[in-house]
Amino acid sequence: MANSPHKMLFHKRLEGPQTLGKGKGFWSGFLLVLAAACVYPLFADGYDVGNNVYFFNWVFMALGLCLIWGYGGILSFGQVAFFGIAGYCYGILTINWGAAYGLSLVALGLAVVVAGLVAALLGYFLFYGRINGVFLGIVTLSFTLVCERFMAQTAGPQWTVGTARLNGFNGMGGMPPLTIPWFGNDIILFPDVQLYYLILALLVAVYLGLRVLLNSRFGNVLVALRDNPERAEMLGYDIRRYQLTAFVIASMLAGLSGALYTAWGQYITPSSMGMTAAALPIIWVAVGGRGDITTTLVGTLLVLAGFQALTVYGSQYALVLMGALLVITVLAAPQGLVMGVVNLTTRLWRRFTKEARS
Amino acid sequence: MNKILTPIMMGMGLLGLNSPLMAEESIKLGVLEDQSGDFAVATIGKVHGIQLATEEINADGGIDGRPLELVIYDTQSDNTRYQEFMRRVLQRDKVDAVFAGFSSASREAYRPIVDQFKGLAFYNNQYEGGVCDANMIVTGAVPEQQFSTLIPYMMEKYGKRVYTIAADYNFGQISAEWVRDIVKENGGEMVGEEFIPLGVSQFSQTIQNIQRVQPDFIVTLLVGTAQSSYYEQAMSANLRLPMASSVNVGQGYEHKRFNPPSLANMYVTTNYIEEVDTPASKAFLEKWHQKFPDEPYVNQEAENSYLAVYLYKQMVERAGSTDHDAIRKVIAEGDVCMDAPEGKVCIDPKSQHMSHTIYLARVGEDHSITFPKVWKNIKPYWLGDAGCDLTQSNPATQYTPSNPPSKN
Amino acid sequence: MAFLSELFAFLYQAGDAFAFLVLAACGLAIVFGMMGVINLAHGEFILCGAYVCATATRLGMPLPLSVLLGALVAGIVGMILERLVIRHLYHRPLDTIVATWGISMIATQGTLIVLGSTLPGTGTPLGSFTLGDYSFSQYRLVLIGTALATLVGLYLLFTRTRFGILARATIQMPHMAQALGINTGLVYSLTFGLGAGLAGLAGGLYAPTMTLVPTMGSAFLVEAFVTVVVGGADIFLGTAPAAAILGVIKAALTSWYGQLAGQIGLLLTAIVVIRVMPRGLSGWLLRERG
Repeated sequence: MANSPHKMLFHKRLEGPQTLGKGKGFWSGFLLVLAAACVYPLFADGYDVGNNVYFFNWVFMALGLCLIWGYGGILSFGQVAFFGIAGYCYGILTINWGAAYGLSLVALGLAVVVAGLVAALLGYFLFYGRINGVFLGIVTLSFTLVCERFMAQTAGPQWTVGTARLNGFNGMGGMPPLTIPWFGNDIILFPDVQLYYLILALLVAVYLGLRVLLNSRFGNVLVALRDNPERAEMLGYDIRRYQLTAFVIASMLAGLSGALYTAWGQYITPSSMGMTAAALPIIWVAVGGRGDITTTLVGTLLVLAGFQALTVYGSQYALVLMGALLVITVLAAPQGLVMGVVNLTTRLWRRFTKEARS
Repeated sequence: MNKILTPIMMGMGLLGLNSPLMAEESIKLGVLEDQSGDFAVATIGKVHGIQLATEEINADGGIDGRPLELVIYDTQSDNTRYQEFMRRVLQRDKVDAVFAGFSSASREAYRPIVDQFKGLAFYNNQYEGGVCDANMIVTGAVPEQQFSTLIPYMMEKYGKRVYTIAADYNFGQISAEWVRDIVKENGGEMVGEEFIPLGVSQFSQTIQNIQRVQPDFIVTLLVGTAQSSYYEQAMSANLRLPMASSVNVGQGYEHKRFNPPSLANMYVTTNYIEEVDTPASKAFLEKWHQKFPDEPYVNQEAENSYLAVYLYKQMVERAGSTDHDAIRKVIAEGDVCMDAPEGKVCIDPKSQHMSHTIYLARVGEDHSITFPKVWKNIKPYWLGDAGCDLTQSNPATQYTPSNPPSKN
Repeated sequence: MAFLSELFAFLYQAGDAFAFLVLAACGLAIVFGMMGVINLAHGEFILCGAYVCATATRLGMPLPLSVLLGALVAGIVGMILERLVIRHLYHRPLDTIVATWGISMIATQGTLIVLGSTLPGTGTPLGSFTLGDYSFSQYRLVLIGTALATLVGLYLLFTRTRFGILARATIQMPHMAQALGINTGLVYSLTFGLGAGLAGLAGGLYAPTMTLVPTMGSAFLVEAFVTVVVGGADIFLGTAPAAAILGVIKAALTSWYGQLAGQIGLLLTAIVVIRVMPRGLSGWLLRERG
């Protein structure tokens, strides 16, 4: 692997003190899972594949929240605002431009950038105003609810951007799915196998990118200021800059989720920015384990699939069971469900090997 | 991560196919309704209606000898659940038709998916109107049916100064537009119009605004459980003006839930409520209570859902298959009608909406219901007149009076 | 006279908004201000109070007693929950958000399953009175009075009673209080119970004026949070003036620009206040004073 110093550096930063998992065992496991994920559509029907794409869509937002909450110690209750902003952006741009010539992909990129810009503006206001802790959570929540209430009343024909109607509470529909330009025949990415591979590739890229980022100087400083902001400041770091950067990255990831979700279902609604929607990412990250991006990734997928399964088979008891799951997780596995299970199995395994030896 | 997901998914798949023999011959209907969350008050009855009709049809030999099988999911009043489960019923359960949705937002959330998979969805709900989509059949009432009857009656009886309070979203805004137009056509005057964001539960200011202008009657287009607190608060502030509505009573049975006389002197146009005093309605209600003795109320959406199953039966039997194109050919003949508990109903081939018997229900001081007037065979004319013709083309769009189909 | 009746109408509206904010927020403010716990199940304690009150009233109990019963039941439920769940999370404030969110889901859906989708109302007591062009609900005046009485009562409780002194001591220096022989566990439990009881009181008081459904608590939640955050950690220097200011702003915006402006104005005010005073009104007042 170590052909050049550059490559070594990159390799080094894929693992480090800030992320779980290192060494051959972890990475061969990672490749195995990745390979399984790649061949999986060959064995599954269109529904399962499309449904998994749907789950993957949300993971970006969860990873972003893990970055600011788990690593930065900043609980933002308003990530869904950026989700919604990017979703509406994607809708407005693609309805006006159409999806030909790869314009839907450009719209995807622009939507993420817009989410980032709004986050930069709000974040500047927050972090340079020294707002932190619970207050930050409430301000971000208020921001989300303002966005929701504003969008909810845009039903009238005066709320039109170009040819795109915002369409109020009923939500904006009719935008084209992501489309890859191809000679003569564009590939339209309906929620099926092609979209699956695109999102999977994005997900792997974001996951590895975040690992590198977290094990770099930036990640170390972020953790330092989470653990003790005063100390970090005394050491000469401008913590506001680091917090703002992390917030913008997280919000762009939320934006990516939003734009992908809009393209997936060809629909976006103000309730994506409502109270319930705002709490969900926090639940995924908390249950999965906010301390690490791998546990967040696995946990988010587990919770999404679990909640859906509960809704399918639990009928009206689903919400009760979900609530109980949350309470129990917080009480019994404070580091999150995934870490809890990992810890438990290692303990059991140690006891087992000990017994076997003796 | 898929190593973990796949077994779960496979497990779901196995459970879904528990009776492969049945699946071959039965006709599957997907049912996506909000059995929990905000909208549960009005929608649990819809599921019961579908179950009742299915049981009757199956006891009677099914559709062309094929039994009906229901695939029911609880959508929890959550738009994203509609997206998930609409894909699930169409792709995994491969249902022949879907009965789905309460709020307009949920319908708009699932409609792109129905269109993508060329599914056939019944929307059995009263709504703001305007959906022109070949893959949708709407059995609920629309504004032209409810307001073109209600508003002129109210203006004649009480006067021409009208005040509207409406929920501040698509349904409220579009309905208010209908009210405004009809009031103007009949030479009346809008003395006030106020839009209330969803979820608002405190109405002191609104009540004062109404008192300031002293209208002849109020049109209340309030939606959701929080907003229905208005009536109690208006009553306690002694605001006793006559009210007209297209949503209350017929949907959320507020006259049963609130203390009299907070809804006294309210007039509602509805295509069915359980107080309708015809033999057909009484027989229907008796069957219903036999199966669901604890049902709090049978509202118009419950009846719409019930009759939709029978309409589907008729269409499949006439088409000879569950194929959508064949079914739409039957609709295009223009005589898909049936005698429902409310009276005779027919599907309009141009818009695939339904004509209704419209009952004017008046709520008394003790919250008893009387019917001062009944209009028979009121057609959903607006979409067709505006230029939506599903027998010719399928724009798959929702139009509004201020955003009608473009005429070429 | 016309001017006077307009003035009274405006004051009535502002007072009405003030009462709603105070009653909705004071339970939350105690739990947050004294214990640092963000209670997302606050709305469900309101629900509990409302349901108990409405049921008791229907069974023939006089309304004031039913309201108190609602508050009592909510308080007891709160103390039980504190023992079972909240107690284990004091050193992890952000986790309490998740846990209380879970409790809120269980309570809302559980209520729907057990008690059905709606409960019949009881009707608003007292009548109305007329002034100038307007008629007003008398019960609303009772609400305004109760809100003020609650504030006074809390002030006396925390400054004049043994419990209040012990509670403040425990909150400020838990270890010292413990060393001095105070049963801090009991104090925390009682404080949380008090917060839940106040939520129940709000529920009971508003039960006659609202639709009783399992999700009714959410109608209070956002306003309550905004008030608490604008106010900061102290109830008397924070929540009360915050509710007064927000009440006036909301009433003014609602009467001039409609309900939407009132709602959005409330949220924007919160954002601006926190930007100017990151620790809320009380943080700002205390800093100026000290």
